[in-house]
Amino acid sequence: MLDRLLRVVASRWFRLVLVGLFVTSLQTTLFSEVRPFGFAVQVVAIFAASAGCSHDVQTGAVVGLISGLMYDAVLATPLGISALVFAGVGAAGSLVMQPFRDPTWWMKVLGASGVAAFGEVLMPIVKGVVGLGGWLQLRVIGAMSVTFLGGVILSVPLIPLTRWTLRERVGRDV
Amino acid sequence: MARARTNLIRAILLLGLASIFFITLDLSGSGATSRVRQVFYTVFAPVEGVARVVTRPLGNAWHAFRNYEDVVTENDRLREQLALQEGSTVAAAASVRLSQELLALNGLPTLAGINSVTAQVIGETPTNFSQTVEINQGSDSGIKVGMPVLNAAGLIGKVTEVFSNRSLVMLISDPDYALSIKVVTTSNRTPVTLPPLASEDAPTVDSVVRTDQTSSTSSTSTTTTTILGFTPVATTLPAEVAAGAASNITVPVASQLAVRETGILEGRGPGRRPIVRFLDASTRASAIEVGAPIVSAGGSRSLAPPDIVIGVVSRVVERLGTAGPILEVELVADLTSLSFLRVLLYQPITEAAR
Repeated sequence: MLDRLLRVVASRWFRLVLVGLFVTSLQTTLFSEVRPFGFAVQVVAIFAASAGCSHDVQTGAVVGLISGLMYDAVLATPLGISALVFAGVGAAGSLVMQPFRDPTWWMKVLGASGVAAFGEVLMPIVKGVVGLGGWLQLRVIGAMSVTFLGGVILSVPLIPLTRWTLRERVGRDV
Repeated sequence: MARARTNLIRAILLLGLASIFFITLDLSGSGATSRVRQVFYTVFAPVEGVARVVTRPLGNAWHAFRNYEDVVTENDRLREQLALQEGSTVAAAASVRLSQELLALNGLPTLAGINSVTAQVIGETPTNFSQTVEINQGSDSGIKVGMPVLNAAGLIGKVTEVFSNRSLVMLISDPDYALSIKVVTTSNRTPVTLPPLASEDAPTVDSVVRTDQTSSTSSTSTTTTTILGFTPVATTLPAEVAAGAASNITVPVASQLAVRETGILEGRGPGRRPIVRFLDASTRASAIEVGAPIVSAGGSRSLAPPDIVIGVVSRVVERLGTAGPILEVELVADLTSLSFLRVLLYQPITEAAR
C-alpha cells in the first residue's frame, strides 16, 4: 500500500499537478497584475504549449487538460472550457514540431509562443460554442500578441521545466 | 511503449469527456462544480498565498514603472474634484436621506434597509476573456451567489462564485452580465400654474372620503394593495385641493412627470460601453436624452434592488424599422480601478437555488 502510494507520489503526473499548481498560482497573482497593454499573458497556455513542443501529441494534450482544469477551478467560467482549449494547445504544440526532425531550442520557443497565442483565439470560440459569446472581438489580436511576446520570454524556462516535470523513468511511470 | 500510448489516449478521452461533463453541469447551474472548485481552492489557496507574497514586489515594481506618471496626474485631478464635490455632497446626502424617509414612510423598499458587507478587491481576472475581480469576503460573511456589488459610485456587478473567505465578482461590463434597468428621463417643459377654481367648479374625487363634513381641514383616502411589503397608510390631502379652495395650484401634467423606460443592460467586454435594449420596441429615441440617469429597475426577478445608480446615457443609437433604439451607457463606477466594494446582502430569487 505504502509502496503504491510512494510510486504515485514519484510519478510524473503527480509532479505535473504540483508544477501545475505553481504555474496557476503565478497566473492568478503576478500575471493577473502585470498586464502589458492591458492584456494578461497566459502562462498556463504557454506551459501547455511548451509541454506539447517538447513531447508527443498525447502528452501535450494531457498536460493541457490537467492544467486547464486547474485553471478553470479558479476562474468564474464554466469548469472544463480552459481544459478543452489547452488540450488543443498542447496537442497543437506537438503537431507544429512534427515536421522538424531535430528542432532547435528557438524553434520550440517560437512554436510554443505561436501555439499559446492561437489558444487566445480558440478560447472565445469555445466560449461562444457553449453559449458565452461576445468575446470574439478585435481585441483578441492584442491578447494574441501579448501572449506571443510573453511566450517568447517565458517558454525559455518553461520548456526545460515541462521536460523535468514529465521526465519518464522506464518501468515506473505510465 | 505501445501500452503507455494506449494509456495516454485513454487519459485524454477520460479528461476530455470529464471536461464536457463539467461544462454541462456548470451551465445547468449544478452545485457540484462549486464543490469541486471549493475542494480545489482548499489545496490551491496556500500555494497562491505564497506566490502572492513572493511576487508582490515584482507586481509593485511593474505598477511603479508603468503607472507612476498617471498616478501623479490622477492624484492632482482627484484633489481638485474632491474640493469641488465636498459642498455638493452635503446637499446630496440630505436629499438621499429625505428620499429614504419618504420611501420608508410609504412602505417602499430602500437600499438603506438592506445590510451590506464591505470587501476589498484582492485580485483581477487572470484571463483575457472574463471580467471578474476577486474580493476578500465570502460565505463566512453571509455573501451568496447573485448578490449585487457596488462601490461608492454605483453598481459594479454581481457575485458569481463564493468560497469561505473570498468571492468572485462578475463586472457589469462582462458580456455574460445582463440586468433590468430603467432610464429616467425628465421633461424640460415648465409646469402649468392653474388659476383658482370657483367652488362649484371644483373637481370631485370619488376616492376621497371626507372625515369631517363640517369643520375638518383635511380629507383622507384609504387604499388596499397586494404589493408585497407595502403597508398602506392614510393619505392626507389639503382641504383646499379637495374642496377647490381659492388658491393657485401648480399642477405637473402627466407629460411633465419623469418618464421611466425599462430595458435590459448588457455588458460588451472591456473597453466597450455597455448597452441598453428596450423591452418595449415602440420606445422612441427622441424620448431618451443623452445624460439621462440609468438605475436598476428592481422587481421580484431582478438581480438587484431598485434604484441603484448604474450610469448615464452617453449615446442614443436609432435603429431602422420597428426595432427600438439602443443606448450606450457611461458607467458611473470606474471599473478599471476598483478598491473597496460593498456587497448588498440581497439574494435575487433567480439565484437563490445556487
